This record gives sequence, structure tokens and C-alpha cells, in this order.
Amino acid sequence: MGRLPLASEVIELPDSFEAVQAHFLERGWTDGLPIVPPTAERVEAMLAGIDADPDAVVGTIPPLWGVATIEKVAINAVMAGCRPVALPVLVAALAAMLEPAFNLYGVQATTHPVAPLLIVHGPAARRLGMHAGSGLFGPGHAANATLGRAVRLCLWNLGGGRPGAADMATQGSPAKYSYAIAEREDASPWEPLHASRGLDAGESAVTVFGGEAPHNVNDHVSQHAPGLLSVVAGTAATLGSNVGWYLAQSQLLVVLGPEHAATIAADGFTRADVQRYLYEHARLPLRRRKLGGMWGIQDWPRWMTTADDDARLPIVPGPEDVLVMVAGGPGKHSAVVPNCCFSRAVTRRIDRWPGPDAGG
Amino acid sequence: MTLVRRGIPTVVVTTTAFEALAHHEAHTLGMEALPLLVIDHPLGGEPPARVAQKAAAAVAQLAARLGR
Repeated sequence: MGRLPLASEVIELPDSFEAVQAHFLERGWTDGLPIVPPTAERVEAMLAGIDADPDAVVGTIPPLWGVATIEKVAINAVMAGCRPVALPVLVAALAAMLEPAFNLYGVQATTHPVAPLLIVHGPAARRLGMHAGSGLFGPGHAANATLGRAVRLCLWNLGGGRPGAADMATQGSPAKYSYAIAEREDASPWEPLHASRGLDAGESAVTVFGGEAPHNVNDHVSQHAPGLLSVVAGTAATLGSNVGWYLAQSQLLVVLGPEHAATIAADGFTRADVQRYLYEHARLPLRRRKLGGMWGIQDWPRWMTTADDDARLPIVPGPEDVLVMVAGGPGKHSAVVPNCCFSRAVTRRIDRWPGPDAGG
Repeated sequence: MTLVRRGIPTVVVTTTAFEALAHHEAHTLGMEALPLLVIDHPLGGEPPARVAQKAAAAVAQLAARLGR
């Protein structure tokens, strides 16, 4: 492969599955599940999946600021079970998470149960075999499961995000094991999400969103957009949500099931209409918000000050802070993913593919 | 530490639940000398009188950290 020797320390262990797993568990290097042993050969093969120097630094990962070189990221990708084709996506996702707007320190260390959700867009999703259909948030899809797990292992081993030590989530979240999806571009009435965020639809990209686990939107009866979107809005605006208390950073991700998206689009609603509708309707009367949550310690602009307890104030700064995409299989369900109200979504182009077909 | 280097009296306030994270963070960033003021967890959700009590109890610690 021509890249040896690797910079990382080589550990000699007995040639036994049990011994290797026990060592990694004992050292605290895994999420609790068995790992693929990152042998030099496997790491070499992983590094062949990217056009980058193994010593190149992607960044330092909070909260404990481990240095993420391409090689270290590759090791964690091997451990997670990724194929080499996933490495450029993983590296782009980490770079996106390290942009200041994402506030990875906050996402990692907060008491709030949030995790970075990866949404893989364009040709990269097809190249990896990312699943965007039935049960996309759940198990059974190797590309999704291993990519999401690789992110977690990087945050765990390079960022030091261990529960109760540096990851201070009060209860944590199943989304912290693995959280990676793709869009149903084939079933979306609108352009892909990354195209709505300034990239070309034909480009490979990844969006990172610091979100809670998905909240279900059940609507089996609505025949029109306003009814259906009212149910989405009701799911988004709940008393126990973090969204809305720090207004400037609050965002919502709405993952519409294809059948719900078709119902909405049949009424002529564009993505912008959906965003505006949810911005206007995903609200609670002020008197409800005064019941608890973060009332009294909220960070709201002065114009939101009012003596009217019936006022329905926004929970995100603007319509563009409602991200809308389509994914899932047959059925009348959608999902709302609330963010952690101090992290903003970042979309980044995926490059560094080896070979001449970059991004294609 | 930028503030400390500028001669501005500085203390980082944390609660007991986050003390270990604060020490890890300070150590990783080479700031072992970071002046840390630790108050009893929790702070959030406490009635104002209890917060005032905790603040009063922290005064001596604060003065010690500020070297007075």
C-alpha cells in the first residue's frame, strides 16, 4: 500500500477474538459493542479510501481536544465496521462538526440528550449504499449503522466524550450509538436538502445536525397540507423541548415520510411554504411556556417581550431554521428532530475521493 | 487564561457535578492552574433564596481563589 509505517502505536495482543475485545473494552476504547480490530492492514485499506495524507489534521475534537488526524479517523472507521468508501464522508462530517456554528463542544458535553445526526446527500449516499427508506433511523442498514458508529467512536476516542465524565448528558440517547441517514431524493417533491442550502443537487455533501432522537408525527387522516402540517407543528412545539429557549440557535429538522410529503405537495406547497407554515404554527401560547422549561432564563430578543399571555411567539429565528427533507418508506409517519438550541446545522461538500471521479 | 495573563482577576465557576470535566479540560489545555470555584450541584431549578445561600457560601472560596 506504500503508506506504512503508521504513526499510531502498534499494540500486540493474543490472536483471539475474545482477548482483543476484552482489551478494547477494558481500555474504554469502544461504545460497549464489539469492534473490528484495527490491524495495520485494515487501517491501510481504509486509508486507500481517501485522497489525503494520513498525517493531515482534520481538527481537534472537544471536549478533551484529541487530535484527529486522517489516520486516527481511519482507525475508528475500521473499528466501527466501515468500508473505505465511507472515509471521505466521515472526514467531511467531522470537519463540518468542527465549524464554530455547530458548537461540537456543546453537543458533546451538554446534559441535553443530543447527538450529531449525519444526512448524506447526492452521489455519496448512493456510493456508500446509505439507506433512506423504511426504518432508516433503525437497524439493518450497514452503511448507516457503521458510518454513524464511526462518528461516535471518533467523538468517544478522540474527543473523550465518555458518559458522566465529559459527555454530561443526564440520560443520554440511543442516537448516540449511531445516527446517520440519507434522503429519499427519488420520492421528494422538492430539490434535495443540500441544494436548498446552497450546494448543487448533483454534488456529494453531508449535513450535520445536533439533534435529539426523532419524535414521531402520526397522521393517518389528513388529506391536505394545512391539517398535516398542524400535526407536525404540534409535535415540534412541546413544553419539554429545548428548542426556542435560546432563540438565535434553535432549529428544527422535519423528516417527512414520502406519503406525507406527497399530500403536502399535492396542495401546491413548496419547501419554502412548509418552512414558513411551520415557523408560523409551531408555537405555544406564552402562558404555557411560563409553566416551566427554561422560563426566566431564556435568551430572547427584546421584541419578544410582551404582557400578552396569549401571544404565540416563534421557537426558531426564521422559516429557514426549519430544515425539511423527505425520507422513509410506506406509511403515514414523519419525524421531527429538535436541535439542542445552541448548535446550528452545517452542510459541507464531500471531497477527497481517491481517483478521477471525485464526488461522482 | 488570557484574562489571567492580562492581570484580570479570574475565576471559573462550576458545580460539583461538572468539576471533573473542568479539571480534565484544564489539564488537556495545559491550564492546571485555572482558578476553579466549585459550588454544590445543582444550580439550575433552585429557588432564588437557595441560590443566594450558595453564593454567600462561595464568597470565602472566591476570595481565596482571587488571592485576597
